[in-house]
Amino acid sequence: MGLPAGTRNYNYAQDMAIFRTKTHWALLLALFVILFTAPLYCGNYWLSVANLIGITIIAATGLNILTGYCGQLSIGHAGFIAVGAYTSAVITNRLELPFLVGLICAGLTAGLIGMIFGIPSLRVKGFYLAISTIAAQFIIIWVINHWTSVTGGFMGISVPPASIGGITFISQSSQFYLIMVITVLVVFLAKNLARTRAGRAFIAIRDNDLAAQVMGINLFRYKLIAFFIGCFLAGIAGSLLAHWIGFMNAENFTLMDSILYIGMIIIGGLGTTTGPIFGVIFIRMLQQGITFIAPWLEDIFTLPAGFTTGIGPMVFGLAIVLFLILEPRGLAHRWQLFKASYRLWPFSY
Amino acid sequence: MNWKKLLKMAGVVSLALVIAIIPLLGAGCAKEEEKTLKVGFSICYTGVAAEKGRPMGNAKLDCMKYINEELGGVAEYQIEVIWRDNQYDAAKAATIINELINAGCLLFTTNSSKMMMASAEIANRAEFPGFAVFSAPVLTNPPQHIYAQMPDYGDDWAAFAKYYLENIWQGEGRPKMVLHLLDNPTGYGARDAALVLADELGIDIVATEEHTATTISEIESLTRINALNPDILYISSTPQPTSIIVQNAVELGMYPGITIGCGHASFTSVLVELAGADTEGVYGVYPTVNWGDDVPAMAKMTEYCLEYHPDDYGNMDYITSWAEGLVVAEILRLAIENVGVDNLTPQAVEEYGFKKLDNFDVGGLHGPVSYTPGDNRLSKSVRVFQILDSEIVPITGWVEAPLIPYEFD
Repeated sequence: MGLPAGTRNYNYAQDMAIFRTKTHWALLLALFVILFTAPLYCGNYWLSVANLIGITIIAATGLNILTGYCGQLSIGHAGFIAVGAYTSAVITNRLELPFLVGLICAGLTAGLIGMIFGIPSLRVKGFYLAISTIAAQFIIIWVINHWTSVTGGFMGISVPPASIGGITFISQSSQFYLIMVITVLVVFLAKNLARTRAGRAFIAIRDNDLAAQVMGINLFRYKLIAFFIGCFLAGIAGSLLAHWIGFMNAENFTLMDSILYIGMIIIGGLGTTTGPIFGVIFIRMLQQGITFIAPWLEDIFTLPAGFTTGIGPMVFGLAIVLFLILEPRGLAHRWQLFKASYRLWPFSY
Repeated sequence: MNWKKLLKMAGVVSLALVIAIIPLLGAGCAKEEEKTLKVGFSICYTGVAAEKGRPMGNAKLDCMKYINEELGGVAEYQIEVIWRDNQYDAAKAATIINELINAGCLLFTTNSSKMMMASAEIANRAEFPGFAVFSAPVLTNPPQHIYAQMPDYGDDWAAFAKYYLENIWQGEGRPKMVLHLLDNPTGYGARDAALVLADELGIDIVATEEHTATTISEIESLTRINALNPDILYISSTPQPTSIIVQNAVELGMYPGITIGCGHASFTSVLVELAGADTEGVYGVYPTVNWGDDVPAMAKMTEYCLEYHPDDYGNMDYITSWAEGLVVAEILRLAIENVGVDNLTPQAVEEYGFKKLDNFDVGGLHGPVSYTPGDNRLSKSVRVFQILDSEIVPITGWVEAPLIPYEFD
């Protein structure tokens, strides 16, 4: 971890600390104050956008562990999110069990199913593994659509609001607290996971799986662990999504969504904890921005209704292409450069 | 101090000034706020359902323009439209519905049942009334704060089945029907009605096939269907997949031979454009009149369509959503008449607007619009059409679609 000039670590605890200086702690505190007082000054709409961002960060963090850290490309992430969403929906709606049971079961079920689809990862990798995870996307959605007695099939299933200890999370602000607390915990977990034995094994496998195996890393075991953790977080995100929207339909989990998640972690920066956060915020805000800009442009230039709606797909595609060309290491790398520059300022070297 | 540093400082100071001055400019330029009636439209202008969402979005915005500019708004108040492109994406639709609630809209509409499903739970919890132009039965059963502008996909199936039995079926015993359904509520709304009514009407559903919105061939499913030798192929889908199914049925020699019927989401001029002469003789159920019909609202709608969106001329989705605009205006008019403009809230609009609708005539564009307690479908009439000489021609008058006793979880 980069530290300001003159700050040195004298013991192991200091070396391992995520928040090392007073400035770090002050910034963290400021972030939490701003984040958790947001419902006081943000309206329903921005809270709902924040909720969507929080849920997406959880899912993208899962994919980042799987793809960014362990190098196992998954194009079926939306399918694993669907598993979590429907597990939670069935548990809370049909079985009438508490939300927390649904949330945990959603993560576990998605994780276990992720492990099953992760089994081919021992034999295949890269493009071939990507194709096998696409199969997960299609198989999961097919099962959801046709297991009508449980999932409601094509008509979908309604999901009651999340409720913990008598507190029901109905309003956007109450859901905001629920989602943000879980998001913060997940990001903290991901940051620490990367520094554990498993995290280092993931990175070794990503960088050179043969070398990792020679070093004594059990590839099969660690790849399956990566699938479990990545899909567990997808399941948690799915559960939160289900209780946030209140109605689940398999059409909410498309292959395009799976690809979008990959786009998010690429734009944010693969293999970094902050990458998914930056990537998700960038993509989700871009989507929201486009929905505002289109009607605004039509008003300003008195264009015929619907004239500007094509800009959405164009801007989105352009953003991804530009990032891949100009900053393939993602926004997280830009953030690192900014921090380095800030620490050295006003000296350029 | 070198010039680079000077430039940086100037940049920072300029930025700070711009940020500081924005609220002042806003305050200085603000004119006296005029009371407007805010309504929200969640439109699938882009995405996989854009073939329907685009003409519908165009129509409702054109209709709002007509109401505001030519009719002077509703009760002399302008309608302020907040429209957003939901891209046929459920998560986006969920944020949009929150925005519309937050923006103080009095009601909202969506084009599609899927987008309404993504919005319905949030809207129901907030008691924020809205209606879907095209809807699946599950949206209004049980009835809460979500309404359907027109009969749903299940009603289409029921109307077509009755028409078939009374006017086409000449065989003995029970006709055999196959359902070919889009893999979403548009498709499965028809199946729900078939499950409830087929036996009672005397129709055997011998198979149910499904397809995706992006299908490029249905030869395989139609081969299976052909082996069953059915009398009717009923398609509940959107125009593009329907055109594929019809063309494939012609390729396989199934059609002409069997009767093909379509639900209203399939049955627009786009179907004829895509499948051409293969659609000759195909039946469809649609809840509006056709272009060029002699009804009071036709002239103005046609004028706007030709002026602003000539490509949409002939597309029945445009008619549907022009009518939607008229229904929105009538709901607002009733609410203002009953509680006054100063007391308008979404709840008041539902209670004194939606629920006071009584035989409102949308210029003859579709059946009369009424609220019936326990039935959140606003219009309850459909017509059966047939494609003859590449034209969509009505072959019945308005057919009443009775409330089907669904039992959803």
